[in-house]
Amino acid sequence: MIELRGVTKTFGAKHAVEDLNLEVRSGELFAFLGPNGAGKTTTIKMVCGLLTPTSGTVLVGGYPATSSQARQLIAYVPDQPFLYEKLTGREFLRFVVEMYGLDSRLATRRIDELIEIFEMGDYIDDLCENYSHGMKQRVVFASALVHEPRALIIDEPLVGLDPRSARIVKDLFLERARAGVAVLMSTHLLSIAEELADTIGIIDHGRMLVRGTLGELRAATRAHMPLEELYLHLTGGDRPNATSRFDESSGRTPAESTTP
Amino acid sequence: MKRFIRRIRPRPHAIAEPTIVVPAADDRAIARAFSRMRGALIRNTLKGLISSSRVRVLTILFCSAIFWVGLFLLFFEGFQFLSRYVALTNEIGEYLFGLFFLSLLVLLFFSNGIILYTGLFQSRESTFLLTTPASCDRIFAHKFLESIAFSSWGFLLLGSPMMTAYGIKVEAEWWFYAIFIPFQLAFVLIPGAAGAIGAILVANYLPRRPKTVLAVAIAAATVAGLFSMYQFFHIAQEYAPQDWMNQLLDRLEFSRNKLLPSRWMAAGVLASAREEIDQALFYLMVMTAHAALAYLIAAVVARDLLRQGHSRVQGGRSGRRRSGWYAFDNAFHRVFFFISRPLRLLILKDLRAFRRDPAQWSQFLIFFSLLAFYFVNIRRLGYDVQSTYWRVLISFLNLAVTALLLSTFTSRFIFPLLSLEGRNFWVLGLFPVRREAILWGKFVFACGVSLFTTEILVILSGVMLRIGIWMILLHMTTIAILCVGLSGISVGLGARFPDLKEEDPSKIATGLSGTLNLLVSLVFILIVVTTLALPCHLYYAGHESSEISGFVDAGATLPGGAVFRGRLALAIVAGLAFSAIATIVPLKIGINAFKKMEF
Repeated sequence: MIELRGVTKTFGAKHAVEDLNLEVRSGELFAFLGPNGAGKTTTIKMVCGLLTPTSGTVLVGGYPATSSQARQLIAYVPDQPFLYEKLTGREFLRFVVEMYGLDSRLATRRIDELIEIFEMGDYIDDLCENYSHGMKQRVVFASALVHEPRALIIDEPLVGLDPRSARIVKDLFLERARAGVAVLMSTHLLSIAEELADTIGIIDHGRMLVRGTLGELRAATRAHMPLEELYLHLTGGDRPNATSRFDESSGRTPAESTTP
Repeated sequence: MKRFIRRIRPRPHAIAEPTIVVPAADDRAIARAFSRMRGALIRNTLKGLISSSRVRVLTILFCSAIFWVGLFLLFFEGFQFLSRYVALTNEIGEYLFGLFFLSLLVLLFFSNGIILYTGLFQSRESTFLLTTPASCDRIFAHKFLESIAFSSWGFLLLGSPMMTAYGIKVEAEWWFYAIFIPFQLAFVLIPGAAGAIGAILVANYLPRRPKTVLAVAIAAATVAGLFSMYQFFHIAQEYAPQDWMNQLLDRLEFSRNKLLPSRWMAAGVLASAREEIDQALFYLMVMTAHAALAYLIAAVVARDLLRQGHSRVQGGRSGRRRSGWYAFDNAFHRVFFFISRPLRLLILKDLRAFRRDPAQWSQFLIFFSLLAFYFVNIRRLGYDVQSTYWRVLISFLNLAVTALLLSTFTSRFIFPLLSLEGRNFWVLGLFPVRREAILWGKFVFACGVSLFTTEILVILSGVMLRIGIWMILLHMTTIAILCVGLSGISVGLGARFPDLKEEDPSKIATGLSGTLNLLVSLVFILIVVTTLALPCHLYYAGHESSEISGFVDAGATLPGGAVFRGRLALAIVAGLAFSAIATIVPLKIGINAFKKMEF
């Protein structure tokens, strides 16, 4: 459903994404991992047709990502949700279904269903300007699902969601993927990737380092360790420098200090 | 690892045919969706305003009404004065309106270009819309409508009292007023569409330098303006009035160029005033056809380049590292050692943002340069050899123009300062300084920038007009009073009515609260300038005319007269009192609101 072939994206001299090949099949839940600035959001924006690749091809359902056909197949949930502040949540959902040309009766039913699923009944008729970040995120998820997309692209899916909403969202991802939707999500939460993803891709400095199921990643790297260790191992050092490298009082590094 | 990366790379293969059949998006349904959404936005906004800000809306409507009436009277008197010497529906009228509409054409071009650039390429709304089935030209149509509405209200506020005054003066038929509405609509579309094309081209071809492009474009417009002014100032003074007027009209001939929409507008308005309905309709059709063509071209450009431009702007953020200017910062700390360090740092933050945004300082610099150019050339007009009465009158008019220009600066740049802190607003609230210190910092910044520039201008004007040291000192005091007052109004009202959700300063400045700020500023200028100019005007008028000297100058002796000095002292005290009120009251309101603000 989603295909990137030899995709490179440069911003001036900087290579944000370099020769990236990626395929997300219908029914597959793909988790995209990588450090900040690795190229995850750039890749996602290229899949959504928001950024044009410098070279290579990005296809959605076989259509170029910038085509109107591709846009009808996808739904995009950015990390910073956008809603019209002076619309109510229901009016926003109505606007989205009208954009996708859904039959009015079907649209009403879908909107009501999603309001119930995301438990938005208490505030859906208030203006969006009064919503918290989590409430906004729920409306945005509902708007992404309301037109039944064939590909769901999510940038940092659980930012700002309370545990209950996060559970709803995770269940919906799985349910949609099992229903044949291709789900591509970028996340920093390794537990989410471990819990949900059929396939995990780790990207760094714009290059795909590894790609496969968790078992395949371990086998390929010959490193039988938890995903967190594997991720840190692949993206530059087993342990980040969270502590001072030099103990001023003793004049020894932390590693030296622990050595008797 | 390298070996592993090679291993996971799939083999390249040919592009497959689409696997899913997707019906074409229904553009009419999308258009209806946009239209309903806009309707709901307007409805909800109005409902919110009526229910929660009734007093604010009524105040703004009341101030706008006063402003409208004031402008109407001003234009009516102006037309009355002109009609004593020339026929308003003839050639002079065409020059007059031609120049007015040409200025509007340039302003609307820039304001639409700026608003559309932000709206199409930098807003989260456009990012959202570009992922929906809406076509690029449909998204463009939606944003264009919004931009036209935002940028044209000033035209309506300025144009309608002028045209009403003109219509009454020339005793136009009812349809003169009716036909002006479609004229106005067609007119705003032309510079609007041209500005939109400019914005899309800048996004596509100069995505990393939009502000520099804007600064260069404004500079180019300024050079054109300076050239026109230069020509105007270099008309030889020895010509007889009739020849001088002919020379002047020759120099302004460019405003009657037949290819300019401002000329069609002026010709159409004059034709309708002369009751030549066929001519008026002809020009209306010319305008409408060109407006439609301009929009069509803009929509085609948007269809082909909007998505690409958005991609380039989003991906083309400047990676320039900012360095240097540390000597300036250090010097600032040393010079203003008496201000507390946190306050100095806050002022420096605003100064840095100001100097790194060419769109801000270039507009400021250009408008003040134009004014300075005019002041430098005052002697070419022979104003300096007129009687004292005329020189003082002109100097106060110059002061008023400087103050009006300053009010546009404080409304456009100072008023939105606090709103622009936006999402980071809580950072200000958590600073280890008293909250009012933050507002004082912005106030000092506004005062500093405005005092520095306006004092130079009024001194220049005074020296060129040879009005004498005492009069120059009076002007310097007046402009200082105005700077302090206008800064207080803009900072105070900006803190009282912040719009933390809006990221576009031009929208903050042109919103309801921004309009209120501008209106209050204009009223303040009117009060202060009148208070200080009136005693001088009456004093010198008394010396100019023996008929009124007894009336206006009773008891006053010639220069050094005690009564005059008393009146002037009273006026200065009154001006200072007004300034104190204008500074303290809005700042107090702003500080109170800022203190109570929850983050």
